[in-house]
Amino acid sequence: MALTGRFSLLVALGVVPVVLLGSDAGAAWAALVVWLVVAIGLGAIDLAIAASPRLIAVERELPPRLRLGETVRSELVLRNLGRRRLRAEVRDGWPPSAGVHGRNRARVDVPAAEGRRVVLALTPTRRGDRVTGAVTVRSHGPLGLWARQATLAAPGRIRVLPPFHSRAHLPSRLTRLRELDGRTPILIRGQGTEFDSLREYVRGDDVRSIDWRATARRSDPESPGSAKLMVRTWRPERDRRIVIVVDTSRTAAARIGDEPRLDTAYEAALLLAALATHAGDRVDLLLWDRRLRGRVHGASGPDLLARMVDAMADVDAELIEADWAGVPAQIRGVTSRRALVVLLTAADSTGSARGLLSVLPGLASRHRVVVASVADPTLEAAVRRRDELADVYAAAAAERTRLDADRVAAAVRRLGASTVAAGPADLPPALADRYLELKAAGQL
Amino acid sequence: MSAAREAETASTARTRSDRPAPAITPGVRRTLRRGRTWIVIALALLAGALVLVVVQGAVRAPGSPLAADNPAPGGAQALARVLADRGVEVGQVRSLDGALDAARGGATILLHDDLGVLDRERVRELASVADRIVVARPDFAALEVLAPGVRLAGAAGDAPADAACALPAADRAGALSDGQRLLAIDDDAEASGFAGCFPSGDGFAVVAGTSPDGAEVVLVGATTPFANETIDEAGNAALAIGLLGERDAVAWYLPGPGDADAADAPSLAELTPGWVSPVLVLLVVVTVAAGIWRGRRFGPLVVEDLPVHVPASETGEGRARLYARGSARLRSLDQLRIGSIRRLAAALRLPRSAEVDAVVAAAASTTGRPAASVRALLVDAEPQGDRDLVRLARDLDGLERAVHAAISPDQALEATDPTGRRP
Repeated sequence: MALTGRFSLLVALGVVPVVLLGSDAGAAWAALVVWLVVAIGLGAIDLAIAASPRLIAVERELPPRLRLGETVRSELVLRNLGRRRLRAEVRDGWPPSAGVHGRNRARVDVPAAEGRRVVLALTPTRRGDRVTGAVTVRSHGPLGLWARQATLAAPGRIRVLPPFHSRAHLPSRLTRLRELDGRTPILIRGQGTEFDSLREYVRGDDVRSIDWRATARRSDPESPGSAKLMVRTWRPERDRRIVIVVDTSRTAAARIGDEPRLDTAYEAALLLAALATHAGDRVDLLLWDRRLRGRVHGASGPDLLARMVDAMADVDAELIEADWAGVPAQIRGVTSRRALVVLLTAADSTGSARGLLSVLPGLASRHRVVVASVADPTLEAAVRRRDELADVYAAAAAERTRLDADRVAAAVRRLGASTVAAGPADLPPALADRYLELKAAGQL
Repeated sequence: MSAAREAETASTARTRSDRPAPAITPGVRRTLRRGRTWIVIALALLAGALVLVVVQGAVRAPGSPLAADNPAPGGAQALARVLADRGVEVGQVRSLDGALDAARGGATILLHDDLGVLDRERVRELASVADRIVVARPDFAALEVLAPGVRLAGAAGDAPADAACALPAADRAGALSDGQRLLAIDDDAEASGFAGCFPSGDGFAVVAGTSPDGAEVVLVGATTPFANETIDEAGNAALAIGLLGERDAVAWYLPGPGDADAADAPSLAELTPGWVSPVLVLLVVVTVAAGIWRGRRFGPLVVEDLPVHVPASETGEGRARLYARGSARLRSLDQLRIGSIRRLAAALRLPRSAEVDAVVAAAASTTGRPAASVRALLVDAEPQGDRDLVRLARDLDGLERAVHAAISPDQALEATDPTGRRP
C-alpha cells in the first residue's frame, strides 16, 4: 500500500473547515474528526477500487548485448489481466550502472484485457552483465489517493561488451599488413615464410634469392645472351597460431589513467585479434588468474571478435594472486604447435612477477612469447618534477618503480621472451606493431 | 529530454502471455503467516499488560489526596465510611461556595488544601462562617489566618505517645503513629488560647484553639491520622473520628482549581481560538501522511556489485611517503642517481653494462664540466639535509639536460627516446 501526495493534500485541506468552525473548540474538534474520517474513508474506497497490481503479465523485449557507450531501448509490455482499469506507475529494477535515462517511473493507463508498452533508454556505464529482476507496479485508484503496490518477477539481462576503442588503429595496421602480405612479396627467406612466386630479376633484388634452376629453364639455348635471371619471392606464412593470455588477477585491478589494466589488456587483445584474423592467423584467447575465467578457441573471422567480447564482458579482475604454473598446460590445451603467446599482464615488480618468470623459460622454448604490460605514463612526469622536498621523494619513488619494471623486463628478455610496455592509450597499437614486426621478420 | 519513456499500445501480433507475472511482494495472508510469531508475541504482551492493569486496579484515575471517595493509600475513604456508618453526614465539596453553605448548616469543615490554592481572604471568609474547622496539614496562609502565632516546626522524630492535653479526642487517642508533623505555639498564641497535644520536642502534632474570627480550630500537622494507609496505626483512627465525629455533619472541603486566586484571569485556552489545538493535531496527521507518501519505497533496493579498481600510482605514493617519514635522503638520491646514470649511458651511446666511471668520464667530456664534480654529483656526494637533497636532485636533472643539450642541441629532452634509439 502507498499514499499519494494528493491524499496528504486532502488531509491538509482539513484546515479550512476546522478554522471556519473554529469559534467553538468542540465544533472544531468535531470538524477535524469528521474530515479525517471522510479522508480515510475516501482513501479506503479508492484502494478498494484500484486494480490489482498482481494481475499483470509482463514481457520484456531487450537486445541481448550492446557495446559500452551505446544506447538501447528496453521495452516492457504490461498486459492487464484483471477486470479493472489499471492506472499505475511502473519502475523497472535496473541497477544504477545500467544507466536508465530519466527517472525510471513510467505512468501507464491500461484498460482491462489490454496491454501497454513502457520504453526505457539505457546507456550502461560499465562493462559486464546488467541484470534486472523485478518490475514494481504501483496501482492507483481513480481518485489517486491510495495505491496498491506489488513487485513482480520479470528477469532481464543485458550484456555490455567491451567498447573496443582501439579499433581506430585497425585501418592503418591493416594497410601495413597488406604491404607485408602476398600482394607485396618479399625477398627475404626465413622461418615463417613460404614460397610465393618466381619473377624476373630486377636491380636491387638480393642475389641470394636467384633461382638458378628456374633461370636455366627460362633461358633459350638458341639465342645465348637472352637469359633472364629469375628470383624466388616469399611471403609470410599464414595460419600461424596466436594465443593471447589475459591475466585477470589482482594486478589487473590497478587503474592506470582512466581505466583498469584489465580493460587496456582487453583493448590490446581485441586489436591484435582483429589484425591477426585479417592476416589469416588463428587466434585463441585465455582469461586466467587461478582458474580459467574465459576461453575462446577455434573461432575465426567476424565470429572471433564477437566471441571474444562476449567472453570478456563479464570478467572482472579478482583480488587473488595469479597462478602462472597453470598457464603452460592451458596453452598446451589450445595448441600443440609453435605459437605466438602474448601474455597481457603487469610485469612491474620483482615480487609479483616471480611466478611469471618461473614459467617463461618453458614457454619460450616451445613458443615465441611476448609479455605486454601497461606502463604508468605519469611516472615520467613524476621523475622530472624536483621542485621541493616532497617532489624529490616522489621522484625517487617513481624512479624506483621504473627501475623495478626495467629489471623485470630485462629478466623477461633474458629468459627468451620479448616485452612491450606502453601507456594505456598506446599499448594496443604498440602490441599490434610488435605483431607486424614479428610477421614481417617471419618469426611467428 | 530524449524519448526515454513513452507508453504506446502494444502490437497485437506478439505472442501473448496470459499468465500474471509471479509477485515477489508477499500478500497480506503471507505477511501474516510469516510474521505469525511476532504477532503472537505482541498479542501476548498486550494481554499480559491488560491483566496486570486490571489486577492492580490502576485503571481508575488516582483521586485527590485525602478525598472522601478515594480508596487509594493517600485517600480518606475509610474514615468517611466509618463516619457515615456512625450516622455522621459526610459531604465532599470542591468549591468555597459549597464549603460556606455547609458551614452555615453547622457542619464540621475538614480543610485539606494540598496544592495551596486558597489565599488568606478566602480562608478568613471560611473561618468567619464556620463554627468548627479541622485543618489537615495547614499551610502557611491558613496558619496565619486561623491561628496567628502557630508556626510550622518540621517533622517529628518519633511517634508522640502522650496526648498531654485537654482535647477529648486527643485524650482518647492516647498515642499517634509515626510520620507526624509538628506545629510550634509562641507566647501570643498561647495567650490567645491555643494549646498543643502530643508534644514532641518543642512542637505539637495537634494544636487546638479559637481563631480570631471565632471559629473553633483544630490543626493537625500531618495527614497521617486521616489517610487510608495509616489510619489504623496507633490512635490515629480515634483522633480522626473524635475530631470529625463531634457534630452531625462533616463537609470534606478539598479546594479545587476554581477556588484559586488566579481563576479570574483568562487561561491560555480561553485566549486562543478554538481551532488551534485541532489544527495542531491535523498538522501532525498531515506530517505522518506526507512521511508515508515520501518514505514508501518504490520496490526493493537494487543491489549493484562494483568491481575493485585501485589507482596504480598509490604504491608509488606510499613509497614516497615512507622515504619522507624515514628521511631516507641518501636512499632516495641513489634511486635518482641510478636512473640518471642509466639514461646518461643510453644517451652517450655506452653499453648498458658500462661502468659508472665510464659514464662519469663521458658526461664530463661531453658537458665540459670537471670530472670530479660530475663524479661527486653522480656517486660521492651525500646529502647533509633536506635542502641539500633537493639541490642535488635538481643538479642531477640539470646534468642530464646539459648532456642532452650537448649531444643534440636541436632536440628538447622530452623528444628523446629513452631507449636511445634514433627516431
